[in-house]
Amino acid sequence: MIVADHVTFQYAESSEPALRDISLSIDDGDFVGITGTSGAGKSTLAMALNGIVPHEWKGDFYGSVKIDGMDTVEHQTEDFCRKIGEVFQDIDSQMVASVVEDEILFGLENFGVPHGEIKIRLEKVLEDLGIPDLRKREISSLSGGQKQKVAIAAILALEPRILVLDEPTGELDPESSREIFGLLRKLNEEKGITIVIIEQKIKLLCEYVKRLIVLDKGALAFDGVPGEIISHIETFKTLGINVPPVAELSYLLRQSGVYDGGITLTVQEAEKMVREVLHDPV
Amino acid sequence: MNLLNYVPGNSFLHRLNPITKLAAAFLYGLACILCGSILMELGFIVLMIAVCAVAGLGKRALRLTRNLLILGLFMFVLQLFFVRTGEALVQIGEFVLITTGGLASALLLSLRVVATMLPLMLLFAITPMNDLCNALVKKAHLPYRYAFILTTAFRFVPLFSTEFHEIQDAQKARGVDFETKNLFRKIGLVAPLCVPLLVSSLEKVNSSAISAEMRGFHLRTRQSGYKEYPFTGRDVLIFVILISLVVFSALFL
Repeated sequence: MIVADHVTFQYAESSEPALRDISLSIDDGDFVGITGTSGAGKSTLAMALNGIVPHEWKGDFYGSVKIDGMDTVEHQTEDFCRKIGEVFQDIDSQMVASVVEDEILFGLENFGVPHGEIKIRLEKVLEDLGIPDLRKREISSLSGGQKQKVAIAAILALEPRILVLDEPTGELDPESSREIFGLLRKLNEEKGITIVIIEQKIKLLCEYVKRLIVLDKGALAFDGVPGEIISHIETFKTLGINVPPVAELSYLLRQSGVYDGGITLTVQEAEKMVREVLHDPV
Repeated sequence: MNLLNYVPGNSFLHRLNPITKLAAAFLYGLACILCGSILMELGFIVLMIAVCAVAGLGKRALRLTRNLLILGLFMFVLQLFFVRTGEALVQIGEFVLITTGGLASALLLSLRVVATMLPLMLLFAITPMNDLCNALVKKAHLPYRYAFILTTAFRFVPLFSTEFHEIQDAQKARGVDFETKNLFRKIGLVAPLCVPLLVSSLEKVNSSAISAEMRGFHLRTRQSGYKEYPFTGRDVLIFVILISLVVFSALFL
């Protein structure tokens, strides 16, 4: 469980705070999506949640972040880096090896996992992500989606309880993006891993996450289940965040008084809604 | 094709211990340095190519030899003009004097450069960088951080080259013409690109360090490595052969 209490952070070389007075708590087993326009402080928030801010990035840090009760300022990163893993935005620079197998071994070796167990974990994580055939491949020869899976595998092998991902689908096509989200949902549901994902693609977020957080200029602008965004659609528009078209459609239909159901987040739901409005059953 | 890339394979050369490969490359180079005969230097080059061809790396060895010969040619020309012993062969004006001694020493030196460098370059074709470093940590007790610097440096070369081409393309899109034949003009155009390249590289290095740190880089000890690199009879045999080669070369060639 992560608890952030009135967190404000300003990078050393900056004149504006990147995070302003953020208080939130993330429960075990949650699937949280963080979105916002660029420069809203999404990456900084993700790094504040796992102690990279303020340990690796210098600046003024106010408030506190506690991971399972451990204060990130008082403890060093190595104390909680086994509880919480982060997949960074730049895929290439977070890799440490040139072959997939070595990349996954790196963390396992460092954390002193017994050698007998390393083999089991390595094979299992490749299996879980559906990439056993990539084991001996050179990382530079992989596609973006494959690299992303390798990066996730390298973190998952360490069996963290919380997984933070910074725009994991940033350079992927829609199909691979969906695949990554499906994979994260599976990890969340089957293994109970808490997932915190930063993402621009709000349509995917609305479909997959259990909880949505929107940042605006470093401050919390929205924190709730995706279904609640219907009452905030005007706010979202002023923040420059595109809500999914299907959600907007349900909002507009509700505004015009022909529909009084809940928000629709997927095309299937929207189809049902439109048929209902038109009195045209399948 | 990058001439320093690893070529996957399962030949007798690939199966050697990474430390044996490294030592063998150095010993072979040493033998070439100690050798004083032009004919035998040629023999060393041919032998190296032949060994590689048996291991399925003939093409790589030939391409490397060709590239090294360009370097050799440069050495040859320098040596030819600066060494003036023995009989005069050609004399042009005041300054150009080519002698038999110069010719012989130029030939020897340029071939020696090729013969010495070739095994070291071929080392990369048969050894994954990671294996070499892990083996050095395990067997030669090299501190892991140095091994990590080495692997990272190699891993970053292709990343930097991609980055460089991206910057260059961005400049081309703004109308800079890099296709000039004039070498000095080309340098003048490319040099300013080093600044953005350096900046983006430093950013990459920083995030790379954070990522390694978050995965317990500082917790690592010599025992951490999962893969073992045992020496076998084959390795001993290679050591014996190469040490004899060095001794033979020092005494007789």
